[in-house]
Amino acid sequence: MTKIIQKAAMALGGGLIALGIIGMGIVEILAGKPYGAAPLTNEAGNVIATPMVDPALRTGLVLAGLAVFGLYGLYQLVTPEEEDAVAREQPTMAD
Amino acid sequence: MNYQLTPPTTTADFELDGAWTAYWLAGLRIITGWWFFHAGVTKLIEDGLAFTYGPAYMQGMTGTALGPIPVWMGNNLAWLIEPGVPLFETLIGLALIAGALTRLAALGGVIFMVLFWVGNAGFGHGLVNGDLMGLLLFATMLVLGAGRYYGLDGVLEQTAFVKQHPKLRYILG
Repeated sequence: MTKIIQKAAMALGGGLIALGIIGMGIVEILAGKPYGAAPLTNEAGNVIATPMVDPALRTGLVLAGLAVFGLYGLYQLVTPEEEDAVAREQPTMAD
Repeated sequence: MNYQLTPPTTTADFELDGAWTAYWLAGLRIITGWWFFHAGVTKLIEDGLAFTYGPAYMQGMTGTALGPIPVWMGNNLAWLIEPGVPLFETLIGLALIAGALTRLAALGGVIFMVLFWVGNAGFGHGLVNGDLMGLLLFATMLVLGAGRYYGLDGVLEQTAFVKQHPKLRYILG
């Protein structure tokens, strides 16, 4: 069960981060200027082009991915340790 | 009587051969690669292979720890820098994303970031800034051979050719 939750956390957390940074980054490049996540301004400071995807959405996806990792950490914290992990802490005698 | 203690390992420990280590290194590698790929490919879209800002940037790098080298490069190697910056940034990014030739690509990233760190000189909050963190990220990819984790280098290193020429691992990994 723990392994499944670990894999789910990896897939969901990493997937959200990859979607926010890379997936929507590709969309931004394909959509034309601005290629980054900030509005493009002219010399007078007027906005002449805005990102296709709201940067708040992209950063929100990345934060959500990090939150998944955080929740997994909390889950590990409240879950009793597996017996073999505890057993490995005991001293063993060698000849 | 000899007592041998195994290292204390619990689920809270950081295991170097653990699943999270491989996962995290691969993730860092891919995002670092995307960072450079994005920087390179957008320059290619905008300026093609004539990134004239590159030589001008280096010509302005006076009074740095690198001495006269960047200024000399800006004055004399414009033919290489103009196409090289967008092209190498793109290739370094792609290599890191795929995890192929990871150490060679990471070395290239280190060279770029040294120039950015010293050239941007954004030291308003101290020497440790985003540019230095980028430099250290590339160095970490290089030291740990991050391409072995969910990357093509893990496959390439198993080929007979690499096994016959093990020193290739210094540019793979």
